[in-house]
Formats: sequence, structure tokens, C-alpha cells
Amino acid sequence: MKPTRPPRWATWLLTRWGHPDTREEAEGDLLELYAHWVQTVGERKARWRYAWNALKLLRPLAKSARKPDYSSPFFLSPTMLRNHFKIAFRSLSRNRLYTALNVAGLTFGIACFLLIGLYLFDELTFDQQHRHADRIYRAIQHKKTPTENLTIAASSYKVAEESKKRLGEIENVARITRTGRANLSNPETKKVFQETIAFGTPGLLEMFDFEAVAGDIRAGLTSPNAVVLVEELALRLFGTTEVIGKTVDFELDRPLKITAVLKNHPLNSSFDFNVMVSEATIRHDEEFERWTTNWASQNFSTYFLLNEKASPDAVAQKISRLLNANVTWEPGTSAYFTLQPLKDMHLHSEHIVDGARNSNVEAMSQGVLLYVQIFAVVALFVLLIACINYMNLATARASNRAKEIGVRKASGAFRSHLIHQFLVESLVVTTLAFVLAVVAVNALLPAFNRFTHKELSLGFGTDYRIWACALLTLALAGLLSGSYPAFLLSRFSPLVLLKNLRLRRRGDWSLRQGLVVFQFTVSVVMIVATVVLFQQVRYAQSKDLGFNKNLLLVVDINSGEVRNRAETIKAEFSRIPGVQNVSVTSRVPGEWKSIPTVKIRPEGSTDEHRVAYLIAADERFANTFGVRLLNGRPFNGEADSSSVLLNETAARLLGIAEAAGQPVEIPSRSFGGSYSPLRTNQPFRARVVGIVKDFHFQSLREKIAPMVLAYQKNPVHTIDYFTSRIEGKEIPATLARMADVLAKIDPTHLLEYHFLDEQLARFYAEDERRETLLIWVALATIFIACLGLFGLATYAAEQRVKEIGVRKVLGASVLNLTTLLSKDFLKLVLIANGIAFPLAWWATHRWLEEFAYHIEVEWWVFAVSGLVALAIALATVSYQAVKAALMNPVKSLRSE
Amino acid sequence: MKRAFLGEFEEVVLLTVAFLGEGAYGVTVTQEIEQKTGRAVGFSSVHTTLQRLEAKGFLRSQMGGATAERGGRRKRFFTVTAAGRKALVDVRQVREELWEALPPGTLQLFGN
Repeated sequence: MKPTRPPRWATWLLTRWGHPDTREEAEGDLLELYAHWVQTVGERKARWRYAWNALKLLRPLAKSARKPDYSSPFFLSPTMLRNHFKIAFRSLSRNRLYTALNVAGLTFGIACFLLIGLYLFDELTFDQQHRHADRIYRAIQHKKTPTENLTIAASSYKVAEESKKRLGEIENVARITRTGRANLSNPETKKVFQETIAFGTPGLLEMFDFEAVAGDIRAGLTSPNAVVLVEELALRLFGTTEVIGKTVDFELDRPLKITAVLKNHPLNSSFDFNVMVSEATIRHDEEFERWTTNWASQNFSTYFLLNEKASPDAVAQKISRLLNANVTWEPGTSAYFTLQPLKDMHLHSEHIVDGARNSNVEAMSQGVLLYVQIFAVVALFVLLIACINYMNLATARASNRAKEIGVRKASGAFRSHLIHQFLVESLVVTTLAFVLAVVAVNALLPAFNRFTHKELSLGFGTDYRIWACALLTLALAGLLSGSYPAFLLSRFSPLVLLKNLRLRRRGDWSLRQGLVVFQFTVSVVMIVATVVLFQQVRYAQSKDLGFNKNLLLVVDINSGEVRNRAETIKAEFSRIPGVQNVSVTSRVPGEWKSIPTVKIRPEGSTDEHRVAYLIAADERFANTFGVRLLNGRPFNGEADSSSVLLNETAARLLGIAEAAGQPVEIPSRSFGGSYSPLRTNQPFRARVVGIVKDFHFQSLREKIAPMVLAYQKNPVHTIDYFTSRIEGKEIPATLARMADVLAKIDPTHLLEYHFLDEQLARFYAEDERRETLLIWVALATIFIACLGLFGLATYAAEQRVKEIGVRKVLGASVLNLTTLLSKDFLKLVLIANGIAFPLAWWATHRWLEEFAYHIEVEWWVFAVSGLVALAIALATVSYQAVKAALMNPVKSLRSE
Repeated sequence: MKRAFLGEFEEVVLLTVAFLGEGAYGVTVTQEIEQKTGRAVGFSSVHTTLQRLEAKGFLRSQMGGATAERGGRRKRFFTVTAAGRKALVDVRQVREELWEALPPGTLQLFGN
């Protein structure tokens, strides 16, 4: 009978994937059975059975539990571990240079990672200290009118109250309204501080977990004329926190009784109020009563506490329905509500106007999500680069350890033992680096906190999540940096290792090259980014703003009395020696409070209204600030109360080329929220008497917007500041005299002043902070990359020591040899430059687009960055190269 | 992870090895079980069961000499160890105890 053969693919599979321990007999048995099956059940069925059985014998289905001839100890057994540690310490202490390089690099990387990680953790856990944080939502109103789209974090009294009454899902509601700034004083000692005046409902203290230092927090805001202070303010006013029952005065024509003292807000809280007055205090005020009847207004920041099962979207829809059922909107206008989770408030409020505040009240501070993301990526990169270093050095050293591995293998070590050994070694190094990094972080934290305005700490009291993350990072970094050597070095066969064959593997070399290229790419991108950021910040600070920002002293008007007698004060101020010019304005360029916008159009026109900013000024505005008048005339005193000046942009917008008393009408104004009619309920009709040159009154991120300068007495906005152009000497004396003048007019008035150039610099303070951070990170990256390069160069020189000896004997010069050794590495840095430039160009362009006025990225920035990287790399490598080239060839060639 | 008891199939395989004596290897065990029990057994399950029994210490194995008939591949012969014999006896004893504990009437209910 013709012998038939079983399916060849099944046999192949079995040979390839069957369990090696039992492969021979299993194959034999199956073959025998196949012959048996062919005779009993026929060839077709036999083939099928053969294949089926073969498949079932493949690994991992076939788990042979046969004990190996030599038992392998459990890899975590104490003896094995002790041995691993012993070997790790021995090999680490034998190669002190490599160990130092590795530990230094990893320490840097981990320290950077931890610092940035702490920062990010803080940003990401904003407002989560409240127990019900995940059930608290902020009401956001989206309002659409034919001319504007407004997203504002505010609601009306009605919406807040009625929603709570009618919707079962809402457990509690809290309202805050911030009506301005006022003098808060201790009637006993007459200590006075200017504070934001905010009114809150009892819900605020029930819903959020503000901790009390003294007093009853639940009842804190229930009764009229009750006030809650924050510890820090209580200490300032009274010198103690035992102030329950005492009274304070807050310019409200009645004393307020302190009912509770709260702990200072943690720095990762969006709430920063110092003082909160009970809403019941103003319950019966005329203005408040008007608020309570209006459904559509935006007078309160409103927070809802939903019950556990409620869906915020559904609740928001119900609130919107409630709103729309009670408001008759003008045609083209519509509004709805959404609920923003409390934990999104800090980082996801970019296009949300912080409502329910007077224009004198600063908006709630926010984080920038983009920068959080950038920093997260940077942190990972730095850590990755440090791990890569370790991998690089360890693989490079493979051949030095080849004999050791060979001997181990020959005397019976399994691959898994070697893998464990290398992993233990890398874990020892990372743990060492981690401990050093924690020490370094603790040393750096005070400076870092001052710099980031945070209260970060890394110690036993730190949140367990931070430690969990840190330890996870440690384990990951250890595995990541140890994995490649562990899996690669253990793969070689002992024969190759012991015969001292070259471990020339193209793959390794190109992998190492790739890693070096990667490191330098990141470094170069960071250098370019740092330079560009630096240039832009400098540009912002030195750009001609259209007015002279130097030596402008701005004094706030903090009381009605001072405002009413501004003319007298101006006259007194100008008499002070050292004061050149004094002007009063409602806002100043570079203002931090919101500048009101108005709707404006030429009178009689039926076009849509245009939107422009408005600042009230006096006749000396142009002189004091150094703003140039292009045509027309400046204000001329009282008679000009219905005249306005325009800036070029506004003039263009309204189609006015030459100021000649063109009539314009301003029907409504806005302080960041919706437009409302003016106080007089009449449009402000004015004549354009002059046009001034454009000047930057906002940060350079914004394009110059249309601006209307109205006379100081106008129906839109009142004056708020004295601005004096002063001489640069004896500033304290000048200030003291000014304080005297003001004290004579109103003894309770608090002197608040600032220099305008400092105020303007604050626009870019964040950028400067980022610049500093970026410089440090860039330095760290380059440093780590250089450590790696240094190690690789050392290794390369060691490897080629014989070659260098021979070349020297044959007459190669030191320069020749240095070039020979450095060339390889410099090539890599050049490649890295090539990859980094487009990346850096793209990234910096994206960032610069944020600024309406920005520098262009110039080619030399790239050239310089590339050269710097190259120079640093050259310096690193050539040290080793020169050292190798100077060596006496006799030494290297003497023994083989 | 040693189980102290024998699975049903393990018991059958172990018994078969004991029965076959000297000539017990994968093929003969498979064929014997097929003949005796009349059920189709996969070679793969017999093979893995043999491995498992060996791991448990119930079987001992050694490779035979090279053979011509199966491509020169050797056979692995199995013999029952003392532990294996004890396990078999134990199982049998448990069974017998259980049978004896059965009330006399119950058997008739089974129909034989």
C-alpha cells in the first residue's frame, strides 16, 4: 500500500509550536496513530483527526507540567533576590562612572517629572476638596441675541429659587453676588481694608465644605446683617480669630455681626472670597427687590447641588424650560442653561464670562488647559529621555558584560534569571535615583511654590494618589529602562558570548542612534521654544504702545467723597513738586478691571450698532498719557460733557475720517454681561470732536479694539483713577504728599496706587513664568541628553581603543582621531536638528498666534539653537575623543 | 498545584497504563481506551493527561529506543509509580465504601 503522509502543515505546526519537552514522542505517537487511522477509518478522516490532534497539542494549549531536569527557584525567593541585589551592587560599584551618569540622569528626570506632576495634580484636583464636589454644578446661561452670543456663569434670582422649589433633582442651591469693593473696618480700632463685597445665601455654607475656625458654619449666613470672615482677614482686622459676635462696618449703613470665621481657602480652590455677607442683609433693599422679580437677569453666580441619581443635562433642560416659560424674549433672542460640573470650573471655563459681579470685582481665576496639557507632555518626555539614557548605556555596555552572561548561562542560568537580574539592577538604580529625586524635590519645592503660587508638598502628608502615581512611575521607569538590556542581553547564546565574538548587531546600533536623535530632537525643540518665548515677552514689554507707560502713577478713587471732589484733588496733586500732569479717568490702559463696552452708531443711521470700549477721561488725558491727537481737538472742560474722542479704529468703524462734531448715539452699555440701557434710560447723544492715534489699552494678545473716550461726566461710566505723570526721583515723598491730600478730603479713604508699567507687565507675568519653567526644563533635557551622549562616547572610545592605537602607530594625528570619534555622534545631532526645526517652527507658530501682535520666528533662532545643541554635543563627545586619542598606543596594543 | 484526587479520565488513563504494563505509551493507551470504553478519545487529551499524571507523580516515564516505523522518533513509555498505585487503590476504596453505604433498595430503582 502506498504510504500516505499526514497533512504537512499540521506536522510543521507541531514541530514549530509543540511543547519542546515532549515534541519527539508526541510527533511519533501521532504518526503511528495516523497510520492506524488510515487503516481503520480511511484517509480522509485520518487526516482530519491528525490535524485536529496536532492543533490541540500546540502551545499554549498543551501545557506540559513535566518538571525540568533542574528545578528553577521561584524568582522571588529570598535567596535569589539576595543574589540579584548583591550582583547589582557589585556591578554598579565596579562601574562607578556609568552608575553616576545613570543615577544623575534618572534623578534629574524623576525630579522634573515629580515637580511637574505635583503641579498638574494640583491643577487637576481644583475644587475637589468639597465632599459633594461631583454633584455640584454651576449654572451657565447661554444667551443669543441678533448681535451677540453670550456665555455667562450667572442666573437670575428667580431661576435659582424656582428651580430648587420645582425640580426634585435639586437638593440645594447657593447664590453669590459680588457688588463691588468697599471699605471693611473694625469699629473699635478703626483698621480699614478694602475688600470685595459679596453676598451669599446659607446654601453656600451648606453645600460646600468650607471649614470653620470659629463659630457655627451652618447658621453663618442665615440671618440678616451676618457676615462670615476668612481667618486671614480676621487676623488682619482683629489680630485674633476669636471674633464671633463682634461687629464690622462695611459701608452698608449698618454694622454687620460676625457669625463664623472660615479657614483660609486652599490655593487649589476657585473660591477666594475673604468676606461673605448674608444675602438676607439686603433682602429688603429696593434694588434687590427688583432683582427678585426679573427672570432673565444675570445677577447671581448660582450653584446647584443635585441628588445622586440626577442627570445634569436633564436638569439643565428643565431649568431652561422654566426660564423660557417665564420670559418673553425679544425676537431673535433666545437663552438656555447648561450645568458645569464644579471640577471643570478651573480648567474648562475659557469662554465663560464670570458673571454676577460689578466691574470693580476681579473675575474668578482660571487655569489654562492647554498649558496643563503641554506640561504633562513635557513631564513625560523628560522622564522618557532619562529612561532612554539608561537603556542606551546598558545596551552599550552589553559586550563588557558578555563574559559574565556567558559564564552564567553556561553554568545553568535560564534566560529568565538573567532578565530578573537586569531588572533588579535597573530597579536598584531607579530607586536610588527616586530617593535622591524626592530629596531634591523637597529642596526645590519652596522656590517652586513661590514661583507657581501654589502650596505643593511632597511628604508623608501628601495625598496618597500622588504617592501611588510616584511609585507607579518608579516601577515603570525601572522596567522601561531595564527592559531593553534585560531582554536583549539575555538572548545571546553562551557560545557566542564566551568565544568573545563581536556582538555586532546592526539593530542595536541603529536603535541607540535613534534614541540619541530623539533626545536631541526634544532638546532642540525646547531651546527654540525658550528663545521664541523670551523674544515675545521682551517684545511685549518694549513695544511702543501708543502711549508712554513709564512713570505713570495711578491712584484709585475709593470713595464717593473723593470722586465728587476730583477737580480739587487734581489741582492739589499738580501742585506737588515732581508731578508733571494729572488726569482722571474711569479706566486706564492696561486695566485689570473690565472696561465697559458700549453700542454706538452715527445718529440717524439705521445700521446695526457697533461695539466699542469706553473710557471716561478729562481734558488732560492726552497730555498725561502721551496719546497723540490726530485731528480735531481735546476736551475743553465742562462744556464738553457730550463730546467724545474716538481712536482710529473706532473712527474707521464708524466711517469718520476727520472729526467735525459728527453726532453719535450710545444707547446701551455692558460690563462683561448683557447690554443694558444707560442709567438715564436715554441714549447718550454725543459729538465726535477729535480722533486719537490707536494705543494699546489691552494686552498684546488682543487686537486694538475700537475705543470711545467720553468726557469725565458722562452717563456711561464714572471716573475711578487719578493718573499722574511724575518725575523719577523722590517717589515716596510724592506719594506721601498725595496721601495727605486725599486724607484731607476724606479721612476714611484708603490709598491704593500702582505704577502703570508694572500693571502692564502683569499681562505677561504668566508668560514669563512659563518662560522660566521652560528654560529649566530645557536645561534638564539637554543635561540628561548630554549625560547619555557622554556615556556612549566613553563606551565608543573604549571599544575602539585598539583601532585607535593602530591608527596612532600608523601616524594619525590627534585631530584625525578626535574627528573620527566625534563624527558619528555629531551626525546624529545634525539629524536631530533636521527633525526638530519643523516641529519647533510649528509649535512656536501655534503659540504666537495667540498674540494679535507678535514677533516673527526668525531663521537665526533655529541656527543658534542648532549650533548650541551641536556645540554642547561636541564638547561632551570630544572630551572622551581627545582623551582616547592622546592615549599612548603602547598601552592599548601591549596585550591581547 | 497538585490535586490530591484523580479525575475520572485520569483514573481511566492511569488504570490503562497499569494494565498495559511494559508497553504503555501514547498510542497503545489511546487505542486501549477506545477499545475498552468504546468512546472516541482524542490523542491530544490522552497525551496531556499522561503529562499531567507524570507531573503529579503518579507515572514515571522513560524514552524507548529509536524505531524505524515512525520516522525514527522514540517512544515514551510510562509506568505507574507507587504513588500512582496508592491513588488507584484509594479511589477504588472510596468507591467501594460509597457503594456499600448505599441502602439495599436503591439499586433496584436503577433498574438492574
